[in-house]
Amino acid sequence: MDSTSDKALMMKVKKGDLDKLGLLFERYNRPLFSFFYRMCKDQDTSEDLIQSVFERMLKYRESYTGSGTFTTWMFSIARNAHIDHYRKVKRSAIPVEIDEERLEAEEDESVIIEQKEQKKNVLEMALERLDEEKREIVILSRYEGLKYKEIADILNTTEGAIKVKMFRAMKDLKDLVNTLSEECSYE
Amino acid sequence: MNEKYELLIADYLSGSLDAEGKDKVEKLIASGEIDFMEFRELEKMHEDLGAIPVPKPGKEMSSRFYAMLEEEKRDQKDSWTEFISKKVKILLAELTMPRLAYTVVLLVVGGFIGSQINGSKTEIEQLSQEMQTMKELMMVNMLEGASAADRLKAVNISTELPNADTEAIHALLFTLNNDPSVNVRVQTIEALKRWGENETVREGLVRSIAKQESPIVIIELADAMIELELKNGAQEFEELLRERELDYTVQQKLQSSIAALL
Repeated sequence: MDSTSDKALMMKVKKGDLDKLGLLFERYNRPLFSFFYRMCKDQDTSEDLIQSVFERMLKYRESYTGSGTFTTWMFSIARNAHIDHYRKVKRSAIPVEIDEERLEAEEDESVIIEQKEQKKNVLEMALERLDEEKREIVILSRYEGLKYKEIADILNTTEGAIKVKMFRAMKDLKDLVNTLSEECSYE
Repeated sequence: MNEKYELLIADYLSGSLDAEGKDKVEKLIASGEIDFMEFRELEKMHEDLGAIPVPKPGKEMSSRFYAMLEEEKRDQKDSWTEFISKKVKILLAELTMPRLAYTVVLLVVGGFIGSQINGSKTEIEQLSQEMQTMKELMMVNMLEGASAADRLKAVNISTELPNADTEAIHALLFTLNNDPSVNVRVQTIEALKRWGENETVREGLVRSIAKQESPIVIIELADAMIELELKNGAQEFEELLRERELDYTVQQKLQSSIAALL
């Protein structure tokens, strides 16, 4: 939920009461970490990106109007920070296949762990393999509790389009889970 | 088969369907228009997604953030002092003799008018005290009104009071714990936060946690606990998490609030 007090706090930050950003940090560093970690699966990168989000909030505080929910504004900044980060990573040609290596390792491990744990791992792997845009929608909706309308505002699209993508994301996820489960059972 | 109903199913998964919508889904499943097996698989997977854990951010992250904030505050302070000293220099540079004389005359006249008004100051103070008492009386009466709109108005009146007496605070706390309207209760929390220094308000807010059923009110209270740094709130939230089956989003919110409070 986005309470009016989030907006009120950010308006105070805008007016120069910078300490209020500390309250917003305490309130939102965990949800932001969860968002970034689920997107990139890297603790350090996620923490760097959170720092970047709050730096941007300070930098662009003058442009905060208080329209829409605070979380929509915050996750729009978060999303841009994430996109910018991966642009830089691509430009400096750092291979992004680390995730794949991690996946392989998890696949090996999943053979020896209990069935329930294995199912959870398979689902986690499937989520990582999901197309990035769909994964972002699933994370924002399922984990961050954002409404489809709020996600649509962040992604500059319509609520209907988000619902369609969410449904398709869940179907793709189901197919990926089935494929990965079969792969695991062959090993 | 289910593609025709993707919007409806997406709403169902996010929990945003009303009773009518849910009924529609059930009828479509019963008539076979929605493939039940596939629907159930999607629903189960959506549930299972909640079990994927995420680690906690490191403690250094907080230190980095607060260091950045301190630096920004220093920059802000520096830019203000620079701004003021520039303005003073410009003003002094522009200050000619006639302007200086004009400023002195203005100061003398202002001082004279001020001393005349001062005599009636006690009357004004008395009047404003009476106004406040009237407003408080009106607010307490309206809080007992039958319509939620009236009670909301009453809560809003309370925000106009410069300082609250015990009766007004008790009336607001009673509203917070007993009002049937979620909107009224949320606004009441906002109103009470203004007197966050008052011990009765602080205790009342913490005690109210266990009495709330609505997730919106619980989340609003969680925000209030952090804003007013009410560490006792963490214990109450832990009990809520143990004793009640809360929505996933509420659970997450409470966990992050507990972490912030401890």
